[in-house]
Amino acid sequence: MERLWDLFLASILSQNIALIFILGMCSLIAVSTSIKNALNMGVAVVLVVTLTAMINWPIYQLLILTNTTKLALLVFIITIAATVQLLEMFIEKFLPKVYNSFGIFLPLITVNCVVLAISLFFMNREYTFAETTVFAFGSGLGWLLAIVLLSGVRIKMKEISNIPKGLRGRAISFIILGILALAFFAFTGIGSA
Amino acid sequence: MWTFIILLSLLIAITLLILLFEKVMGGAEERTITVNHDTLIPVVGNETALNSLSNNKIYLPSACGGKGSCGTCKFRLIDYHEPPKPTEISFLSKDEVENGVRLSCQTKVTTDLKILLPPGLLNAKVFQSKVVKIERMTYDIKMVRFELTEPMHFKPGQYAQIMVPGFEEDRAYSIASDPKNPYIIELIIRQVPHGLASTYVNQVLKVGDKVRITGPFGDFFLHEESTKPIIMIAGGSGKAPIRSIIYRLIDKGFDREATYFFGARTQADLYLTDYFMDISKQFKNFTYVPALSHLPKEDDWAGERGLITDVVGKYTKDLSNHEAYLCGSPGMIDACIKVLKSKGMKEENIFFDKF
Amino acid sequence: MKLLRMKYTKWFQTLKNGISSQNPILISVLGICSALAVTNQVENAIAMGLGVTFVVIASSSTVSLIRNFVPSKIRMVAYMVIISAYVILVQMFLEGFFPTIAKNLSAYVGLIITNCIVMGRAEAYAIKNPVKYTFIDGFANGMGYTLVLIVVASIREILGFGTWLGLPVMPGSWINWVVLSIAPGGFFIIGLLAWGLRSLTKTYEE
Repeated sequence: MERLWDLFLASILSQNIALIFILGMCSLIAVSTSIKNALNMGVAVVLVVTLTAMINWPIYQLLILTNTTKLALLVFIITIAATVQLLEMFIEKFLPKVYNSFGIFLPLITVNCVVLAISLFFMNREYTFAETTVFAFGSGLGWLLAIVLLSGVRIKMKEISNIPKGLRGRAISFIILGILALAFFAFTGIGSA
Repeated sequence: MWTFIILLSLLIAITLLILLFEKVMGGAEERTITVNHDTLIPVVGNETALNSLSNNKIYLPSACGGKGSCGTCKFRLIDYHEPPKPTEISFLSKDEVENGVRLSCQTKVTTDLKILLPPGLLNAKVFQSKVVKIERMTYDIKMVRFELTEPMHFKPGQYAQIMVPGFEEDRAYSIASDPKNPYIIELIIRQVPHGLASTYVNQVLKVGDKVRITGPFGDFFLHEESTKPIIMIAGGSGKAPIRSIIYRLIDKGFDREATYFFGARTQADLYLTDYFMDISKQFKNFTYVPALSHLPKEDDWAGERGLITDVVGKYTKDLSNHEAYLCGSPGMIDACIKVLKSKGMKEENIFFDKF
Repeated sequence: MKLLRMKYTKWFQTLKNGISSQNPILISVLGICSALAVTNQVENAIAMGLGVTFVVIASSSTVSLIRNFVPSKIRMVAYMVIISAYVILVQMFLEGFFPTIAKNLSAYVGLIITNCIVMGRAEAYAIKNPVKYTFIDGFANGMGYTLVLIVVASIREILGFGTWLGLPVMPGSWINWVVLSIAPGGFFIIGLLAWGLRSLTKTYEE
């Protein structure tokens, strides 16, 4: 239990998938123009990442059994695409209100490196099912945290400061993210992967 | 052996997925544009309406090549309630906005669209052409003659678009050639500083080059059923559509009275003067009036001097039964319309092509 | 005049766009994840750059070859399958011939599949252009990406480790700018480069 709690903390803070491992940047920068969108995208990511990790883990065990781990990459990406597609259909049909808020981000997430990365990470680190689930959920939350932080700063900056022309739009995100990433180094040592 | 089984089950899974896609999603990624209630255009990805239509061989005029700086790509949408974007608002009147008129280059096809296009537009096609002659008319104006592989039937006064290769962008120019010969298109092109097409034509284009031309476009053309006497006013490269119109008038034996006022700054801006003077000598009904506005006093010039609006005012009396064809900058056209109206010309008889 | 005529050809404009005026990292802001993670050393940057270039050229060209036969509804899936195949090839190649680099890059090679540049070029260019131009576009974008990676990695390695491609270039008394050898360093350098290129090519946003 303590192991899982350590892992959970680490995945949100000291091993934050966005700010320490720098994954999921494209969508992070693209969808951070409004807090509402950022929040919705973040929630969608948490959902997809956790779900796909939980599905990919048993499939990976099958690959180990049949000695076909070379195909892991291909298999993972296909299950991710399938899961996202089915999830989108499910939400659109049964939870239309939820669909309106973050449904449009779902197709974007298929190509978000975070989702595939989580699966590759649990494979490389040989996690158990429980560890995989906790790790995926925590990482998703970590990404959510990062995108909301980024949007907050970006929006405020746009309002009150005179950003140089060459940095306007998405380019300023780099500088902001750099500072945020530096800040997150303060969490080193919290929990363990 | 296991690899084979896994790959096979994967393939089956993908196929089932695809079937599920089609059934439940109903093509979430694909949209359609319905043109004039019957033609359906499939749209893939996140394209502008302008591009989607041209990918399906329906060519909307686009003088600036889709950059949102000319306003020529207007189209009308039915059942459309999105407000106009800040980039298109300056080109649309309040009525147009209310009637669902938007710029097709600024409208992304995010849902199914229903649009109305004037039937003439559906006649515009893409033509392959070869440059057969390039002639310098003045220090900043060239006339280029294109030979088409297929005929383009146009009305005198209409315009065509040439595509600048490499950049794959279109620019619009009025057709200056005789509509009698649909295999030849002549365009009069003036060098605009930093202009994409004018730089291409002036510095790079050679005889023998192949150029893609789209057309014909425009509702500025000679009204041939009418018998009213004609006033034509155009300066610089605006001479192009007028030349085309005059070709048609010559063909009909110049059965209508016509006066062409050509406004320029100095003698260096004059071209085809002898040509038009000859026509006026040949046909009693045609008068050519070149007028220079910035000619130094000491220069030798027997023709009119002053602003074109003043010269038009000087030569005309009662225009209540005349037709006018104007081609030039918005400022020049507005000023001319004022003068014409002050002489009694009716609004519905004034036709213009603003650059 | 000959040189000027070259400017008005599709291949030249495609090449120019991919490398500079629409540089995938600095202007279009794509493919960032890998650009930040592997640029702490030039060796890794070159490997990743070439890997991505190969995948983008190969997958885009393949997509372009079959572009008229792919029904639009399944094109996303088609892209992924094609891209995955080539990425697996790259992975096997690296593990076989450059195991150290493969270890350094580890998961990031697999992540080329989700690299927005590869998917992006397939959707924005390959699906509607003939193979010869798609090849140039893939090459240009790949090169634009690789060049930025090498520049960033050079700055980060020289200032952060005092070496370039493993060879010491800084005097012994040099104190490493450790911040550049960790993630934030990558962010800052890319941010500054983006500022530079955008100001140079005058491609500003909003």
